[in-house]
Amino acid sequence: MTDKTRRDFLKLSAAGVFAPTLSGWLPVLAAAAPAGGKGKAKSVILLWMDGGPSHKDTFDLKPDSKGAGEFKPIKTAAAGVEISEHLPKIAGVMNHGTIVRGMSTPEGAHQRAKYYGHTGYREGQGGLIYPSIGSLVSKEKGRPDASMPNFVSIGGRSYGSGFLGPKHQPLQITDPARGVEDLQAAVAGGQFDSRVGLLDKMEKAFHREYQADAITDHATTYQRAVKLMQSREAKAFDLSQESQSARGKYGTGRFADGVLMARRLVEVGVPFVEVSLGGWDTHQDNFTRVKSLSEQIDAPIAALVADLKERGLLDSTLVVWMGDFGRTPGINARGAKPGRDHYPRAWSLAMWGGGMRGGAVVGKTDKEGAAVVDRPTTAQDYLATVCELMGIDYTKKNETPTARPIQIVEKAKPFTDLIV
Amino acid sequence: MRLRPLALFALAAGLAVTLGDVGPVDAQTAAQKKAAKLAKKADPDPAPAKPAPVAAAKPAAPTKALPTAAPVPAKKDAAALARLIDAEVAKELAAAKVDASPRCSDEEFLRRACLDITGVIPTADKAREFLDSKDPDKRAKLLDELLADPHYGRRMADIWTAKLFPVDSGNRFVLKEPLYKWFEGQFNANTPWDKLVTCLVAATGTVEENPAVTYFLANRSVDKLTDTTAQHFMGIQLQCAQCHNHPFTSWKQTEYWGMATFYSKVRVDNPKNANKGGDNTKIGVTEGAGRAKGKDFFPESAKTVPAKFLGGPEPSLGDAAYRPALAKWMTSADNPFFAKAIVNRTWAHLFGRGFVNPVDDMLEENPASHPALLDALARHLGTAGGFDLKYLVKAVCLSDTYQRTAKPTPANKADKLLFSHMTVKVLSPEQLYDSLAQVTGVGKAEPRAKGQGKGLPAGGRERFVAFFLAGAEETSPVEYEAGIPQALRLMNSAVMNNPAAAKAVVGSAATPAEAVERIYLAALSRRPTAAETKDLTAYVASAGGPATGYADILWAVLNSSEFTLVR
Repeated sequence: MTDKTRRDFLKLSAAGVFAPTLSGWLPVLAAAAPAGGKGKAKSVILLWMDGGPSHKDTFDLKPDSKGAGEFKPIKTAAAGVEISEHLPKIAGVMNHGTIVRGMSTPEGAHQRAKYYGHTGYREGQGGLIYPSIGSLVSKEKGRPDASMPNFVSIGGRSYGSGFLGPKHQPLQITDPARGVEDLQAAVAGGQFDSRVGLLDKMEKAFHREYQADAITDHATTYQRAVKLMQSREAKAFDLSQESQSARGKYGTGRFADGVLMARRLVEVGVPFVEVSLGGWDTHQDNFTRVKSLSEQIDAPIAALVADLKERGLLDSTLVVWMGDFGRTPGINARGAKPGRDHYPRAWSLAMWGGGMRGGAVVGKTDKEGAAVVDRPTTAQDYLATVCELMGIDYTKKNETPTARPIQIVEKAKPFTDLIV
Repeated sequence: MRLRPLALFALAAGLAVTLGDVGPVDAQTAAQKKAAKLAKKADPDPAPAKPAPVAAAKPAAPTKALPTAAPVPAKKDAAALARLIDAEVAKELAAAKVDASPRCSDEEFLRRACLDITGVIPTADKAREFLDSKDPDKRAKLLDELLADPHYGRRMADIWTAKLFPVDSGNRFVLKEPLYKWFEGQFNANTPWDKLVTCLVAATGTVEENPAVTYFLANRSVDKLTDTTAQHFMGIQLQCAQCHNHPFTSWKQTEYWGMATFYSKVRVDNPKNANKGGDNTKIGVTEGAGRAKGKDFFPESAKTVPAKFLGGPEPSLGDAAYRPALAKWMTSADNPFFAKAIVNRTWAHLFGRGFVNPVDDMLEENPASHPALLDALARHLGTAGGFDLKYLVKAVCLSDTYQRTAKPTPANKADKLLFSHMTVKVLSPEQLYDSLAQVTGVGKAEPRAKGQGKGLPAGGRERFVAFFLAGAEETSPVEYEAGIPQALRLMNSAVMNNPAAAKAVVGSAATPAEAVERIYLAALSRRPTAAETKDLTAYVASAGGPATGYADILWAVLNSSEFTLVR
C-alpha cells in the first residue's frame, strides 16, 4: 500500500532536513519520472466553466436550428471549423486546438456533473471518494521533491484527491492577485530562519529516538513548504512580476489573472493547474451573459496559447476548456430574458496543445445540437485521452486505503488517435 | 446459525496460510483463485491447514473458541483481560523471536492515553500533577478519569459521525449536528455497543425526536445502507457484490441483495424538500411496506430476493418491520462479525493498526495477526463484557502491550505486526485542532457552530478539520499526510504566531529555564531534557529579548513532529 519509491526518496532526503535547501534554487522543468504511454505532455491547464456553458453559443453553433439563438458563427484558423463570433481571438488559435463536439454524459445536476467530469466516476459509486484528474496527474507525474506544489487550483473550489490522500490535494488560490495564502512568514526573515533552525534540531532529535516514517514525512512536508516560501519558483504566484504589456494581452479580471498565473506555474514545471470561471448557469438572460463570459475568456485563452507557443511549451502543455455539461438546444421561456437549461446529452469541450496536431473536430451533433450523431464521448473517454497525452497509463490501478484497486479511468475509449 | 460457506472459508484461509508472507492483495487474489478452483471439487470437510510458516498466518474461523495462553475472564475484569492480551501478544512475539520494547515513560503514557481517549493533550497543570505523582496506581486512575471525561464522547463522535455521515453533495441539506450530539451523548453514557447499533439500524422518527435517523437521511439508498452496515458494524466490505459476485470472497450478488432487502421498507423524507422553507429537524424516517421506490432501486435479478442474513438464515418476517430483525441478528453474541469488528476497530484506534487490516476488510482470506486474541476478546465482549466499550478501552490500555514505548529497539524495529513496540500515530485533524487550541488559547471557547442548515462546515474547528482533511473522509492514523498548504498554515497563520499565546504559556516563570519547562509541559506534556534546557536557554539569551525567544520556541514546538504525532 505504501508507495515504495516515494518512501525511499523520503528516507534519503531525511538526512538533511532543512539546512541544504534554505538557499535552494533547484533547476526546474527537469522531466518527471516517465511513466507508461507515449504522450509527451508534461502539464495540463484545465479551464473549468462553472455552471455549464452553452455549446450552441460557443463551440458548436447551429445557425439553422430552431433554438439557434442570436450569435453568428465565424471562421477560425482551423480550416472548416467555425465558432462563436464572440470568441474572435480564440478563433485565431484554433489551428492549435481540437473541439470535442460529441460530449455526452449522464449527470445533469451541477455537483454530480462536476464530480463526474473531474473524476470519471459518479458520485457515491462504490462508496468511495474518487480523485480528480488534477490529483491523479499530481500522483502520476508530480515530483515529490518539487518545491512547487504539483496541483494548483485557482478560483473556485476544485475537486480534490479523494482516496489518494491530502498529499495530492490542490494548493488553493482564492484570488490570483493575492497569491498563495500563508506563504509569507509572520516574522522577519532572520527570525524565521532561527525558528526553522530550532525546529530542525527538534525534528532530528525526535527522529533519532522514534525512527518512524511519519516523522520523516512530516519533516519532508515542512521542508517543501519552507522551500516554497524561499524559492524563486514561488514568484510564479506573483503576477506583479509580469510586465504591463504582457498582462495587457490577457485582459483584466480574476479569470484573466488566473490564466496568466497558470502559464507562469507551467513555466516552472507545475504539472496541473485548474482555473475556474463561474457564471455559466444561464437559465435566464443567456445571450447577454454568454456574450459577456465569452469576452472574459477570449483574450486570456488566446494569449495563453500564443504565449505557450512562443515559449516552446505548447506541445508539452495541454489546455482544456470545459464545464459541467451543455445547455438545452431550445431556448426556454423564463420571463422576459430567456435562457437555456442544463443539458448533458450533447455538449462540447475544447483543447489546445499537448502534442495534438491541432485543427481537428472530434464528434458531431445533429442539426439542433440536441443529440450526438458521431462519436459520443464520455468523461471517461476524455479523461483517458488526457492521460494518454500525458503519457499516463489510464488502466493503471491505484489502491484505496482499504486496498481496493481502482483503475485511474475505467470503461474508457480514448480518442487520442484522432487528434495526435 | 453458523456460516454456510464456512467450508470454503476454511479452505481459502488454509491456502492463505500455505502462501505465507505475500502481500495481502496478492494473497487474496491467489487464495481466491485457488479456492475457486478447489471449491468445484471441494471436499466439504476442509483439510487441516499446514503449520503456519509465519506467526501472522493462522488457521481458519473456528466454531469453537481458540485456545488462549491465559484464561478468559468469566466476568468483567479489566486487569485480567489485560493479562490475557499480554499473554497472547507475548506468545506471538516468542514464536517470532522478537523482543518487546520496554514499558513507556509516564510522559509517553500520559500524552498517549489523553489523546487516544479524549482526543486532546493534557494541560500543563495536569501533566505536572501526573508526572510528579508517586501513586503506583496512577496510570489506572488516569484511565478512569479520562474515560469519565466528556471529551471521550466528543472524540468518539468525531470518529463515528465521519463514518456514518458521508461527504456527499446530496447531504448538504441534512443536519449533521444532531447525529454528532447523539453520538457524543451515547458514548459518554457508555451505551453498550449492541444497543447503540440497534438504535441506529432500527431508528425511526424525526431528527428532532430521534437524531439517530440522521444515519438514514445521510445514506438514502438501500445500497449505501447495506454497505455502511457491513463495513462499519461488521467489518466487511460487501459493496463489490452489489454488481457482481465478490472477487475475493464467496459473497454472492444474491447475498448482497438479501441483506439489502432488510432496508427495503425504509421510507426517508427528502431533506431537500424540508429545506425549501421547511424545518429539517422535522424530517425523518418511517418503516413501512410500499416503499416501491426503494425496491425500484434493486436490479431486476434481485427484486425477488427475500431478506436473508449474510451467511445466515432467511427469517420469516411477514408484515413485521425488517430492521429490528436485522439489528437483532447483527448484534447477537453469536453473530460471527459484529463483536470482532468493534474489537478490531478499538484495537486499531489504540494501536494504529488492527489485528486485521484494513479494519473493515475482515475476510477469512485476510487473516488476523492474533486470531486467538481477537476471538477471545470478541467472545468476552459479546458475553460477560456486555459490549461495554469503556471497559474494553480500559482493559487494553492497562495492558503492557499498550504501555510499551514507541521507541523501537534495533531488534524489533522492523516489526509492524506483533505489537513489540507502540506505533507512532498521527493526530487526526480534530486532535490537532483541539490540542493547538488548548496551548494557544485560540478557538478553545468557541462552541460548535449552530444552524449549519446546509450541513456545510462552519466554525473554526470545522473549517480547520475540513482544511486538513482536504476532501478526504479521514486521515491515516499512522501516515503523515498533510501537505504544503497545511504546513504553510501551521507555520505562518496569525493563530500560530500570536505573541500573547507564548506570554500566557510562560506566565510568571522566574527564569528562562522555568519558562522553557512551562512551554514543554503545555505543548509536549513533558519537561525538557537537560540538554534541551541548556540549548534553549542559550537560544533565549541570544534571541533579542526573552519574549521573542519564548515565542520562537513555542512556534517550533507546535510545528514539531513530537507535537503532531502521538508517541
